[in-house]
Amino acid sequence: MEAEQDCAEYRERLLKGMRAGIRRSVCGAADLIHVFVNHRRIGVLDGTGVETTLQAQTDVRIDIVQLRSEDGVLLGGLLAPVYGFRTSRISLMRDTIELRVQNYAQGGSVRAVYIPAPSFWHRARRGLVGVADSAAPRPVTFAGSGVRTIAFTQVLLAVALVWLVADRITGWMTPVRPPLPATQAEVHWAAPLGEVTKLEQQLVELSRMQAKAVETIQMQQQGMAQLQRAMAKLPSTQETVASSVLIVKQEIEQRWKGAGGDTDRMTRGIMSKAQSEQEQLEAEIHSLTVANDRLSKEMTDLERYNQNLKKRLQSAGVDVSKATGSDREKPMVAWQNEAIQPPHTPKVAEARPISQQPHFLF
Amino acid sequence: MTPGVQPISSREQAMPDCTAALGRLEEVVSTAEEFDRVVSQALPILLDRAASRTKRFLRETGQWSDDVAHEKFVLRWGAEYLEQFFVYGRSEVPCRPLFLLDSVVAKHHSRPEPFYYHPDLLKPLGRLIDGLVGRASISRDALIALYHHCYGLGPGQVITVLRLNGSESPRIYKNFQRWRDSGWNRTIENMGITEDELQRLNAQQQQHRHRFNSDAEQMLRFAQAHYRKSEPDHYPCLSRHQWEDMFRQGYGIEYRIWHLALCLDCLHTAWDLGLDGASAMDKPHVVLQLQP
Repeated sequence: MEAEQDCAEYRERLLKGMRAGIRRSVCGAADLIHVFVNHRRIGVLDGTGVETTLQAQTDVRIDIVQLRSEDGVLLGGLLAPVYGFRTSRISLMRDTIELRVQNYAQGGSVRAVYIPAPSFWHRARRGLVGVADSAAPRPVTFAGSGVRTIAFTQVLLAVALVWLVADRITGWMTPVRPPLPATQAEVHWAAPLGEVTKLEQQLVELSRMQAKAVETIQMQQQGMAQLQRAMAKLPSTQETVASSVLIVKQEIEQRWKGAGGDTDRMTRGIMSKAQSEQEQLEAEIHSLTVANDRLSKEMTDLERYNQNLKKRLQSAGVDVSKATGSDREKPMVAWQNEAIQPPHTPKVAEARPISQQPHFLF
Repeated sequence: MTPGVQPISSREQAMPDCTAALGRLEEVVSTAEEFDRVVSQALPILLDRAASRTKRFLRETGQWSDDVAHEKFVLRWGAEYLEQFFVYGRSEVPCRPLFLLDSVVAKHHSRPEPFYYHPDLLKPLGRLIDGLVGRASISRDALIALYHHCYGLGPGQVITVLRLNGSESPRIYKNFQRWRDSGWNRTIENMGITEDELQRLNAQQQQHRHRFNSDAEQMLRFAQAHYRKSEPDHYPCLSRHQWEDMFRQGYGIEYRIWHLALCLDCLHTAWDLGLDGASAMDKPHVVLQLQP
């Protein structure tokens, strides 16, 4: 039962992993993508924001092409045809990889092209161009629409110039008439001349504006180019910073380990010192114990000796009392000494040199 | 209710659903989107199908045994085939998904060695080693982590032993970091190794350290010899002179990284050269690390 449950849980985990698909990968956009042909690794695609290509030829027919992230997640793949070629476009989050696999009579070839997603500025510019296209007459300051504005202005200028030149030529070709009193028609002819002058001024104004617009556009283009360069450098800078952080972290860890090593060494030194002191103490305690044992033994011996002496004294006393019934003073002395003796016995036992001296003189 | 055990009413309801799903899988799908939709709705059925095909393969080749280890083995390989089918199938439309899966599995099983089967590798220790080395053949993170799990080397020591240059070093640290963050857990889950099994392995290692590591080395050599074939350009072992030349000239960085992780003998040869700081460390020998 437990085994079945174990298998069921395992099955669920596998299904969960499959449902997550390529989202399981924790690799970033800047990490490498490994290309496998027939389950064998043939190279990597560098996904650091620039278009890269990997080409490989094999002696054997290609069956399967796989793309895997650094953490081994299958990102995409292609089953190769038995003969001929097949292409596939695999979208990875934002970027794209184009795969082309071809099988020949003998062997095959594979080509993988990593196409990074367009940058933010690129997409923004395209979006703005679209807006400008939908509203062409409006003055737009960005590069793509600026070109169109310039072209439109130039066409306008050319038409105006042609009209002016044609007008002048027409004026020159017309025969000079004798001065006539001013008529209504003459008044009408004078009016266009004024308008022409006005138009000329407008044209001058327009060309000045155009020059300014061109200058502005050029400046903006330069700015955009600088921005794009900076954006292109940004991932590599981020990568460098990340790697530096990692290296610093490692160094800090090593230093921590080094500091930990010093502490360990100090602790070990103190511990060994304490241990040696403990050993010395133990040795001293041992020697004291041995001495104490020896003394106890000696004390026991002395007590036994005292007991013997006591017995001998008693027996001697009895003998003496039997032998010398008239002389009563000497035994009394002996008895007094005997009566005094017991309190002295421990002293005799504790003091070794005294024990060798005779305690009682008979 | 115990997971995996359904009440009768829901089983009766599940049967027509299953039949309907099977029917949809047998029909033709015309676009990649339709393929994704149909397949993602029937993943459990397809997993069971791929696992049952693998079980049949093991039975017919005399490698099957009725136990949990074998059940897990076929589930693992079923999931592997299904993952590939899920990716390739999009380029195979129009197709009938169920039969396409059968053909993908059959294609794998028609290869000389569709997977590495060894009875010892079905035990917890064998499964762990097989899982780690097998993962290393498809994942750079797992490959770098092999230096840690097999020999107890850290990122700095890996860089020293392989004599990598400055540009490769941050990548090694990244590989280690990613492995610790997610790679290890995912591999353990894919292998079906439970926390209890890991703890038991740990206890075994503590009690019989020498025997445990000796067994681990034996299995590691089996697994390395099999999975090293995933690197055609890196498969051959080099002579001591060739290794020395490579280290001194500074070429073949990818070769060093892939081959030395998958070849204990060559790792010893490279270490014996005693170049740079490598000689300052103990000679790498198999001491299995059960934590990332």
